[in-house]
Amino acid sequence: MLKIDHLTKHYHDVVAVDDLDFEVKPGVVTGFLGPNGSGKSTTMRVILGLDHPTKGRATINGQNYADLKSPLREVGALLDAKAVHPGRTARNHLRALAASNQIKKSRVDEVLEFAGISSVANKKVGGFSLGMSQRLGIAGALLGDPGVLLFDEPVNGLDPEGIRWIREFFRSLAKEGRTVFVSSHLMSEMAVSADQIIVIGRGRFITQGSVDDLTATAKGTVFVRASDTQKLTALVQTHEGTVQEINDKGLTIGGMTSDQIGEVAFNGGITILELTPQRASLEEVFMDLTADSVEYGSTTLGVAHHE
Amino acid sequence: MSNNENLLSTIKSEWIKFRSVRSSIMGVIVFAVLTIGLGALITFAIRSHWNQNTRIDKLTFDPVSTSLAGILFAQFAVGVIGILVISSEYSSGSIRTTLAAVPNRIRLAASKLIVLMASMFVVCEIVCFIAFLTGQAIFNGVVPTASLGSGQVLRSVILAGVYLTLLTALGFGLGLILRQSAASISVFVSLLLILPILVIFLPQSWQNNFSKFEPSELGRSMMAVTPRAEAFGAWTALLVLLIYVVVVLAAGTTLLQRRDA
Repeated sequence: MLKIDHLTKHYHDVVAVDDLDFEVKPGVVTGFLGPNGSGKSTTMRVILGLDHPTKGRATINGQNYADLKSPLREVGALLDAKAVHPGRTARNHLRALAASNQIKKSRVDEVLEFAGISSVANKKVGGFSLGMSQRLGIAGALLGDPGVLLFDEPVNGLDPEGIRWIREFFRSLAKEGRTVFVSSHLMSEMAVSADQIIVIGRGRFITQGSVDDLTATAKGTVFVRASDTQKLTALVQTHEGTVQEINDKGLTIGGMTSDQIGEVAFNGGITILELTPQRASLEEVFMDLTADSVEYGSTTLGVAHHE
Repeated sequence: MSNNENLLSTIKSEWIKFRSVRSSIMGVIVFAVLTIGLGALITFAIRSHWNQNTRIDKLTFDPVSTSLAGILFAQFAVGVIGILVISSEYSSGSIRTTLAAVPNRIRLAASKLIVLMASMFVVCEIVCFIAFLTGQAIFNGVVPTASLGSGQVLRSVILAGVYLTLLTALGFGLGLILRQSAASISVFVSLLLILPILVIFLPQSWQNNFSKFEPSELGRSMMAVTPRAEAFGAWTALLVLLIYVVVVLAAGTTLLQRRDA
């Protein structure tokens, strides 16, 4: 199990991580979601003992990373796939890693095979595509057969087949009872690959829960087609509802449940043709949650919209 | 698992890394070719012009240092080997992978240093002996030669290898401090090449006191068969160079401990 304990990290004046406090449990895939620059990679680096925390700490099964005797046997990590000496072959890279943690040489060929890069094992890493480097990084993470696995933006550079492969791979690792912690700035990716999600923004904890929990907390909207659109609009506005969108198909109403809208329509003598609650997508929830915490937000340019 | 076991496995890992990149292999080849090749070229030139020398020149001739003259060039190659062992980890980012595998940074630095110094000591001694023997073979019959049977000559050749090995350690220490190949190489070259030039601008009496402390002067003193004027003896020079290396390595390791990777 992975525990982040009131972790704060400053780089000079910049607060990269601000009092993060959460646990990552084994047996499920936990997504670590936040916009770029929100402190995900910093948190990962502190977990691995690469960066020293300003306050607080990160522990693996109760221990500091630096105190682990054979860290690769307990934690496998893929932070930056390109962080490999370009002049070394994939096999030699893994052999050196294996030797440092007293892992059998035969394990190197096993993980090369598993990651699907056996055929390029004796090629220099410098010539690898990002996707191949990701696979080498995954091979490295698996080398010590660890119980805790960390992946920082693992789908970057993978082709669709690779993305599918890696999602199933995360699931299978979690099913084996391992702790799987995967960061991403892509909510759509997390929605399909993670069971639990931890959302951060500007280094601060925002929320935590299952994908369903997170979408449930968001205010949904209801799509309505009715016999008299104008009358329904007027009625809705006299209640708590807001009409968010009107087009020739129907209305999108926020702030009211489908029950409430149905009742309002009945009382007003309007025939309801369709009444569909719309669940917010995780993407919308995420945008909502992190709207105030985007480090490098873009503003809308003054271009006329044609709608 | 004991600490010794961990140190051994880290050394094994660093040894795999050291010999599996071209920069180390190329560095060793460049060093060997420069030392032996230039040594042969210089001794051959001396042999072919021997009769043009004056009597004094002939009497003060040192067949040992001339056969090892290639070291003047080759010393930069060994320094770069030492620098790249650590700076290439930073330039490629692989230092993070390395430290994730070996979080004990003192052990990591020690292992890298042991692998570097042990392998370079063997290489440097072999190369220095080959350069010496090649030079004497070229001199033979025309120019006076030196023999390894003499204690001082043997010491000179051995200390030449030791000097070069310590330079790789110095390069490694600079790499630990500066973490950048270009910056580290610049500082290394400056220490060996530019420092002596700067000292020339000092008053004569200061020059005599300062120049003997220059790393390159220490090297010449270590390789000298007979003690040089205004310089340390061979063993004192070795001691001073050792102190430099220890100080630079201590600073580098302290920074490695403290800084974020």
